[in-house]
Amino acid sequence: MDFAPSYTPEQEAFRSEVRAWLSEHMPKTGGDLDSDENYRKFRQLGRDLGKRGWLRPTAPKQYGGGGLDVASAIVLYEEMDAYGLPIPPYYDSGGWLGGASILVWGTEEQKQRLLPPIFTGDVVTWQLLTGPEAGSDLAGTKTDARRDGDEYVINGEKIYVGGSHGADQFWTITRTNPDGDRHKNLSWFMIPANLPGITVRPMELLGDGGEGIGAGVKNTVYFDNVRVPAANLVGGENNGWQVASTHLELEHGSGGSVGRNRWFTRALRWANEQQRDGRPLIEDPEARDRLVDIFVLTEISRLFGLRNFWMNRTHQPMTYEGPQSSYFRKLSGLKITEALHSLFGPYALTHDERWDFSEGTLDAYQRSAIVALHPGGTADIQKVIMARRIGMGREERESAGKTVE
Amino acid sequence: MDLSLTESQQLLKQSVEDFIEREAPRDTLVELQQTERGFNDTIWKTAAETGWLGMLIPEQYGGGGAEFTDAAVVYEALGHAPMPGPMFSSGVLSAQIIQHVGSEEQRQRHLPAIASGEVICTFALTEPEYRWGLHGVRMRPREDGEHYVLDGAKLFVYDAHAADYVITAVRTGDGEDDIGLLMVDTKTPGISTRRLGGFTSSESEVIFQNARVPKSALLGRPGGVRNALDRALMNATPLLCAYQVGGAQAVFDLSVKYSRERVQFGRPIGRFQFVQNHIVQLVNHLDAARWTTYEALWKLDSGREATVSVHLAKAVTSEGYREACDYAHEVHAGTGVMREYGLTLFTRLSRSLYHALGEPRYHRKRLADLVATIAVD
Repeated sequence: MDFAPSYTPEQEAFRSEVRAWLSEHMPKTGGDLDSDENYRKFRQLGRDLGKRGWLRPTAPKQYGGGGLDVASAIVLYEEMDAYGLPIPPYYDSGGWLGGASILVWGTEEQKQRLLPPIFTGDVVTWQLLTGPEAGSDLAGTKTDARRDGDEYVINGEKIYVGGSHGADQFWTITRTNPDGDRHKNLSWFMIPANLPGITVRPMELLGDGGEGIGAGVKNTVYFDNVRVPAANLVGGENNGWQVASTHLELEHGSGGSVGRNRWFTRALRWANEQQRDGRPLIEDPEARDRLVDIFVLTEISRLFGLRNFWMNRTHQPMTYEGPQSSYFRKLSGLKITEALHSLFGPYALTHDERWDFSEGTLDAYQRSAIVALHPGGTADIQKVIMARRIGMGREERESAGKTVE
Repeated sequence: MDLSLTESQQLLKQSVEDFIEREAPRDTLVELQQTERGFNDTIWKTAAETGWLGMLIPEQYGGGGAEFTDAAVVYEALGHAPMPGPMFSSGVLSAQIIQHVGSEEQRQRHLPAIASGEVICTFALTEPEYRWGLHGVRMRPREDGEHYVLDGAKLFVYDAHAADYVITAVRTGDGEDDIGLLMVDTKTPGISTRRLGGFTSSESEVIFQNARVPKSALLGRPGGVRNALDRALMNATPLLCAYQVGGAQAVFDLSVKYSRERVQFGRPIGRFQFVQNHIVQLVNHLDAARWTTYEALWKLDSGREATVSVHLAKAVTSEGYREACDYAHEVHAGTGVMREYGLTLFTRLSRSLYHALGEPRYHRKRLADLVATIAVD
C-alpha cells in the first residue's frame, strides 16, 4: 500500500509551474472572505484557472477541462490549499456535480454546448434538489415540467439552494409524468438563471451550509411558468432519476478527497496562544485530551476521504463508501464542535470583534456543523443507503450510481 | 497512491484463509477455546512451517524478512478466524524486542528458535498495582554473583502458560531509563505461571519466588533499553491491530449474513432500520480501525515517523473492535451468546485485546503528550 501520492519528475515540474503561476495571479483579499469584493476577485481567479484547464483539472480537454492525470490534479489541489482555497475558489458544487452528470448522461451536442462554460469558469451553477415537499424523498418532487412544443414549462419551488452571490444557471429534477411510476416520472434540466418566471429569494438559516468558501446564505427558487428549451433536457424524458444517481453518488461522498479538516490545526494553534488560569491552555492536560479527540475524528475522516478518492479515481467498484464518509463527516462535525466548546468555553460561541480570537470561524462552525447535517442527504439517509449497498436483510446489494462514463 | 494489496499479499491472504477453512473452522475453534492450552500443535506447526510465525524476523535469523504490511495481511486473516495461539506474543512482540534490544549473540541464539516455533516467548510488563507503561515497572532484582534473583508478580501476561521464555521487564535503578529486560526461562525453579480464568483470552500471571536468573539473560546493555524497547513496541503494535481488524471484519460479515437469514415479523431483520443502524455503526468502527492500522503499517514500511500513527491506530482499533462486537450482539441478540455460534470467540478477544499493549486510554494519553508536536500539513 502507498498512502501518499507519488509524483513523476514531470509532475514535480508541473508543481513548480503551478506555484509560480499562483503566486503571480493570487488576488489580495482581506476582511470577510464572503464579501462581494472578494467574491469578484475569486471569480476572476476561477476564470484565469479555467483558461488553463486548471479549474476542472481531470475533466476531458475537449470540453474545456484540463485532461490532467490524478497526481497532477492533486498537485493543483495541494498548491491551492496552501492558500486555504478549494478549486474552484468559490461555491460551485452545481458545476462539479452537474458537469459530471452531463458527462455521463448528456448527448454529444449537450456536452459541447453545456460543459465548456462550466469547466472554464465562465458560469456559476447551482443545483436545485430539495423542495418544500421533497427533502429526503427527493423523487417525490412536486415541481412539474410540462412539454409544450420545443419547450418545457416548469412550475414549482426548490429550497436550500446556492449561496450569497447568485448563479448563471441552475439544474434541477422535475416531475414530467405525475401519473407515472415512482423514479420513472422524473426529468433533469439545465436552466439559464435569467429566464422569465424565475424568482430567487434568500432564506434565513442558522448558518452557512459548511460547503466551503462563499456558500453563504441559502435561497428559495420559485418557478412560475418558466419556459426551458427541450434541448436542455439531459438524459431523456422520464429518465431523470438515472441522471440524479450520478450526482447524488458524488454528493454522498464517493468522490473522496485528499484534504483534511482544518480544525485540529486551528484548535492547536489557539490552545498555544490562549491563556487560561494563568498558563497557556495547551498546558492543561484536559485541553490536550480534547485536542486528541479532535485529532482522532479528523484523522478517521481524512482516511475515509482518501480511500474514496483513490477508489473513485482508480475506478474500483464502490458500494457503501461514499455515504459512509458523508455520514461520518456529518456526525464527527458535531462531536468536534462539542470538543471545541469544551476547549474554549464561551469563546467558541462569540464572534465579538473584541474578544473572539478566531475571526468568527468558531461561532460559524458551531452553527454550520448543525446545518451540515442535511445537505447532500441527511445523516439518516446516508445510513439508509449504506444499508442497501451493504445488503442488510437482502441478498441483492444495490450498486453505486455511475460517476464516470 | 495505491491502497490495494499487492498480488503476493492477496495470495498470502488466500493461503491463510484456505488453511483456516481446512484445519480450523469455527466449530473447531469453539472447542479449542475450552481447552487448557487454548490452541493445538497442528496450528502451531503450520504457523511455523509456512513461515507465518517468523515472517517479520530478518532472514539472517531464520525468518522471512517480510514487510510489516505483508505480515499484517496474515495477522488480519488469523484474526478473522480467530486463530488462537501465541503467534503474536512470540513471533512478533518477543521477536521484535530481541531484535531491537538484544545483542547480536542473543539475536542469533533466540530468533531462529522463535521463527521455527521450537521456542515460545512472551513479554511481561504489567505489575499488580500499576497500569501498562514503563513507569509501572517496579520489580527490582537482587544481584547475587552471576545471577539476578527475582521476587514478585507480573500480571496479564499473554500466553505465559504456554511459553518457554518470558521476557521480563525489571527495574535496574531509580532513573527513568533504568529498565532491564530479562530473558527468563519458565522452567527456572521459583517461577510459576497460571492462566487467569474469566472473560479473558490467554492472560496469565507469572509469579517469581526467589527465582535465580543468570546475568547473561539480560537483553542488551543495562540502561540502554528504553528507546530500543519503544521501537520494538511501535513495530509490533500495528500487527496486533491487524489481528483486531480481522476480528472486527469477521463480526461484520457474521452480522450482515444474520441480517439476511433471520426472519422476524415476516421479514429479514436487516430490513429494520434499528438493526441497520447497528451494522452501520459496526462498519464505521471496522473501517476506522482498518485504515488507521494500514496507514501506520505503511509508515513503518516506508521508513516514515510512525509514532503518532501507531498510537492512533491502537486507540481506534481497540475501541473499534470492542464496539463492533457490541453492535454485533445487538444484531444477534440471543443467538449471539450461544457458545456454538462462535460470535463470543470474537467478543472475548475484543475485550482481552482492548488492553493488550495498553488500553485506548493509554494510547490517547501518549497522543496528548505528543499533541503539541503533531504537525499536519
